[in-house]
Amino acid sequence: MTQLLQQLVNGSVLGAQYALIALGYTMVYGIIQLINFAHGEIYMLGAFGGFTAYTYVIPHSLRGDALVVLPVVLVFAVAFSVTAAVLMERFAYRPLRNAPRLAPLITAIGVSISLQEAVRVFYPGGNRQQPFPSILSDRQFTVGGVSISLIAVFVVAVAISLMIALQTFVKASRTGRAMRATAQDPDTAKLMGVDTDRIIVITFVLGAILAASAGILQGMLIGQIDFRIGFIGGLKAFTAAVLGGIGNITGAVLGGFTLGIVEALATQYIPQGSAYKDVWAFVVLILVLVFRPTGLLGESVRSRS
Amino acid sequence: MTVAAARLGRAVTPFRLPLAALGFALVLAGVDLPWATFSGFPGLMTLSLYPGGAKAYCLILAVGFLLFVIPWDGRRGAALAALGGLAGTAALTLLAIAKDGGGLVNVSIGAWLTLLGGLFGVAAATGLPPDSPPRPWRRLAVPLEWLLIAAAYLAVLFALVVALNTADSPQFIAFLIAGVAAAVAVVRLGIGAAVRVLTDRHLRVATAVGLLVILAFPFTQNGSDYWLRVAASVGVFAAAAIGLNIVVGLAGLLDLGYIAFFGIGAYTAAFLSGANNSTIAVHLPFALVIVMGAVIAAVFGVIIGTPTLRLRGDYLAIVTLGFGEIFRLVMQNNPAHKTNGPNGIFGIPDLSAGGFQLGSSHEVFGVSLSNFANYYYLELVLVVVVMIVFSRLNSSRIGRAWVAIREDETAAAAMGINTINLKLLAFGIGAFLAGASGTINAHLTTQVSPDSYTFLQSVLLLAAVVLGGMGTIPGAVVGSALLIALPEKLRSFQDYRLLLYGIALILMMRFRPEGVIANRRRQREFHDEDASTPDALSAPPGSVVSR
Repeated sequence: MTQLLQQLVNGSVLGAQYALIALGYTMVYGIIQLINFAHGEIYMLGAFGGFTAYTYVIPHSLRGDALVVLPVVLVFAVAFSVTAAVLMERFAYRPLRNAPRLAPLITAIGVSISLQEAVRVFYPGGNRQQPFPSILSDRQFTVGGVSISLIAVFVVAVAISLMIALQTFVKASRTGRAMRATAQDPDTAKLMGVDTDRIIVITFVLGAILAASAGILQGMLIGQIDFRIGFIGGLKAFTAAVLGGIGNITGAVLGGFTLGIVEALATQYIPQGSAYKDVWAFVVLILVLVFRPTGLLGESVRSRS
Repeated sequence: MTVAAARLGRAVTPFRLPLAALGFALVLAGVDLPWATFSGFPGLMTLSLYPGGAKAYCLILAVGFLLFVIPWDGRRGAALAALGGLAGTAALTLLAIAKDGGGLVNVSIGAWLTLLGGLFGVAAATGLPPDSPPRPWRRLAVPLEWLLIAAAYLAVLFALVVALNTADSPQFIAFLIAGVAAAVAVVRLGIGAAVRVLTDRHLRVATAVGLLVILAFPFTQNGSDYWLRVAASVGVFAAAAIGLNIVVGLAGLLDLGYIAFFGIGAYTAAFLSGANNSTIAVHLPFALVIVMGAVIAAVFGVIIGTPTLRLRGDYLAIVTLGFGEIFRLVMQNNPAHKTNGPNGIFGIPDLSAGGFQLGSSHEVFGVSLSNFANYYYLELVLVVVVMIVFSRLNSSRIGRAWVAIREDETAAAAMGINTINLKLLAFGIGAFLAGASGTINAHLTTQVSPDSYTFLQSVLLLAAVVLGGMGTIPGAVVGSALLIALPEKLRSFQDYRLLLYGIALILMMRFRPEGVIANRRRQREFHDEDASTPDALSAPPGSVVSR
């Protein structure tokens, strides 16, 4: 029983990060029906942005003070991710907005490979794993036999508050309303005076901010980053988005947590489960597509094509 | 930029002939004078009256100066390309000499003269009258047209052999610049289109000549193995790329786990061919193994495709990507102790057919052909079979249905096309061909291991298809040859290889999504906003055949 609870906790921590990245996939998909393969790389760049801030910007004497380190790391992470996202939208995706479907998908793969390789080749030490600071103290709590680290609590708390903030923004603000209008029907939205190009950029920026936060949280939790984390992280987050119903923001959050918990349980309870740690997400993805292609909360996916 | 060029052009027009003559004289003088003050730079650059290496490329491109006196359609663009290439080749070589020698003082007068001559030529070319689109090619006597086809293909083979024998990086880059410039010039003069029209008109002869050229390749290598090994890899890769081209280019389905089907074929061959550390002690004849590898891959393709192809194309991309990763991870985790985990299976024996050992060399016409040449020929058979499958499918009812699905799935379904079954068929055939190539590759490399079947390999195949041209056979072959052979030459860029592939994918999709060798229907699809593509205008009526 304790073991089950422990895995549920671990799964939620994992799922919180998947959810943060999945939101970027789902929002971009909702607006321009593009699977942005390079979104995983945005997340990876966020982690490297935070790492850059910690290693090269913050003086040694201040590194122990989480209240200084966290904001600086966050600002750098967001700056890296948002810059990459805005550039890729402007120069890679926007020119192809009316091209046949295959073109932007192939471009997205090209962007993804280029960003990974750019970090590997040009970032100092980018071809190896880099140690990421845990920033917060590594204190452990034990609640009813289940051990939880302070960082894990922080990860879930940050993730949930960001999701609430995003939900509020999309539901309540004027820009959020414009986003929803563009997602429903870009042409009509344009007629109603919505600057859809601007809305699309804002969508990429929001996704990048969430992904950058996920990048830092991942670094703090695991203590290591490398140029490959975006690939596998992005894939799992995409699975989470599909699981929840792609294009649906609440669905992405639900899908993220579900996938995290499924992965934690599968690793624990299926024989040889940990060797296949990265396989379970794909198994879930294929099962979802077979039995419920619209995802947990999605509307009909086919009608959009 | 264009305004400045036009202004320069107007200013230059009256003086273009003297300017060109001056440039020509400078280049002729430049290539006969030494380019470097120190020996050791490839191409014997210290000699006078010896146009070798980069000098030779400049001398060949200097033919572009003749365009000033021959009124040929498209000569302005061609002259700009040729002379710009000349200046570029000279400039690059000059810089490389300066870098090798440790400063510009080590560059001799010849290099400067050639560069200056090239620049004069470019300036003079801006003064040529603007180009009108090239006129359609006149019909000639049939044997003459055959000869032209043969000459064109031989020129390509010759360029290839020169390229392979060009030693080292700076000289090879000079060759690339000169080669691309020459190719652009030739295309601007309408010769590319003419070769294409001729090829269409005499498809059988063209195919036969092309085949002969490819068959002749091992005999140009003087028994050396290096490029035959590369060519053998290109062969395997090209067969897989044509298979992928059925999936991506014809049916418009993005398959990102294609290498997994290739891997399934390779592992099948490894298990069933009596490899040293195969965990299954079975040795079946190769003819059976290749069929089994292909069929098993196709079965997996159908299993993966059935649930996903009911949905939109985007899901297929991500599910195939996931499948590719699952395949690799499963092989790595050594299920039931059968796959030997990360080490893979090695010691896969060479093939033999009716007493003919593919693993040993043979003497043919006085040239010793090594094991790589044998595999090269075996793959040639595979590539030809795959090509026939591709072209027969393409011009069949099925092929037209695929194109309809690719262009508009809803409309295709409304026309009574069973979209799900046909997509599944494309996906299955693609997997089948990948499996077949995989079995041969296992014998060629004599080992299989999970690391050979990563996502990046799938991307590489996709890049070959996209770069070469989606939906065309020569496209997939040219793309594979470029992606496999170029890195062998550009060793100093090894680390940037994948970065450059990624950037190439982005740029191709942005500027030439139909690829280097365009399928005409596909080209229109990608450019339907500008209805009058140059290709549509220049093609004479009746020559537009669906390929």
